[in-house]
Amino acid sequence: MRRIFANRLAFATAAIVILMSALFAFIRTMG
Amino acid sequence: MQVRYNLRGAIWLSIYLFFVLAPLFALLAGGLPPARDFWTEFSAALGYAGLAMMGLQFGLTARFRHVTEPWGEDVIYHFHRQISLIAVGLVLAHPIILFMVRPELVALLNSIQAPWRARFAALSTYSLIALLVMALWRVKLNIRYETWHVTHIVLAVVAVAAGVAHMVGWSFYVSSPWKRVLWIALPVFWIGVLLYVRIIKPLFMLRRPYRVAEVRKERGDTSTLVMQPDGHPGFRFSPGQFGWLTLWDSPFKITGHPFSFSSSAALTDGRVEMTIRNLGDFTSAIPTVPAGQRVYLDGPYGAFTMAGNPADMHVLIAGGVGITPMMSIIRTLADRGDTRLVILLYGSKDWESVTFREELETQQARLNLKIVHVLANPPADWTGEKGFIGAELFKRHLPPPYGDHEYFICGPDVMMDAIEKALAELSVPLSKYHSERYSFV
Repeated sequence: MRRIFANRLAFATAAIVILMSALFAFIRTMG
Repeated sequence: MQVRYNLRGAIWLSIYLFFVLAPLFALLAGGLPPARDFWTEFSAALGYAGLAMMGLQFGLTARFRHVTEPWGEDVIYHFHRQISLIAVGLVLAHPIILFMVRPELVALLNSIQAPWRARFAALSTYSLIALLVMALWRVKLNIRYETWHVTHIVLAVVAVAAGVAHMVGWSFYVSSPWKRVLWIALPVFWIGVLLYVRIIKPLFMLRRPYRVAEVRKERGDTSTLVMQPDGHPGFRFSPGQFGWLTLWDSPFKITGHPFSFSSSAALTDGRVEMTIRNLGDFTSAIPTVPAGQRVYLDGPYGAFTMAGNPADMHVLIAGGVGITPMMSIIRTLADRGDTRLVILLYGSKDWESVTFREELETQQARLNLKIVHVLANPPADWTGEKGFIGAELFKRHLPPPYGDHEYFICGPDVMMDAIEKALAELSVPLSKYHSERYSFV
């Protein structure tokens, strides 16, 4: 269960990092 | 308790994300080169984020107590493994997206003609792929653990160093000196952490050796190493914690072996004991360790402790040699004169292999301890529990409400999975049970 939690934590981290990378690109191209 | 658990997790994740995203967004400060299309910028951001995450991997496995404390060492190693896959995915996505939007860049894959900055990118990527393949299929590839461990570290350092060289060589976002310093300093810091763990810390350990005072034979092909600090006071630990043992070599040896302490944490002379089952590997030599043998201990580690977890009663669930941290908990509670009820659910193969069987009976005179033995292969006249520990057994032996107790679980992975599932069925919140898997390395 705790490892499932760790998996979720890793996927949440990945999702945030990818979204933030997209935001970075968005700021660069729109700004 | 659940709120505190979630809060600690949220803070931990925020700090992790800060180390990945703050350097990335710092690139947007000050003067900027002309913007390119969205996908090129997105690919660049993924490359930077992936590099930062690769660097952070060194921090995750650096045995910093405050880093591992909210989760436990086993979960951190599991996170390290999962997040590695993601970081490698991000790093690989960087060139793949670039090749898709700018096909002319595919020519950079020809390392003979490509500039150095592209060669470094290729070196970093190939190192990462090799690292990943070896980590995922080490057993299938028949690679010895020690060989794999050294190769893993070398490939990780090469991947990060080559990644930095590629970034500096390309110089698109890090043309200003402070950005370059930031993005070089961060990976260098993480590699420095590795040097601290592998060189500085062993130097300290070299000055704080232990001597084996006795090797005690226990039931179930198991031995207890009794170790006494040699020329120093030793360290204090919480019952349930573990240490990394280096037995025949110097502390500079790259591969240590994690074992739980089985002795009471209330001992004041620095003596520590580790009870180790013969699993046919490094552990098979434990019974032959001579008294007086010099050993090195790095510890204590682990969040598998009672500290900060007040409970009406403790439920200890052990499978096989998973009894060792429980023994430390039982001995410590007895030494401290704790009056709360402790229920030990103890799964073993058969009656003869029940490690600490006799001592557990004597501890019942010192502690409010109820023991439930569960045997996989019981003798013909056995009237106790048999089979495996599960939800039905909990209902027979634990007083409700189940969510009020504090649970400590240690045993083989299959058993841990089954018990964690059973506890979830009984609506025991995650914050009320503590588990640490001994197969995390």
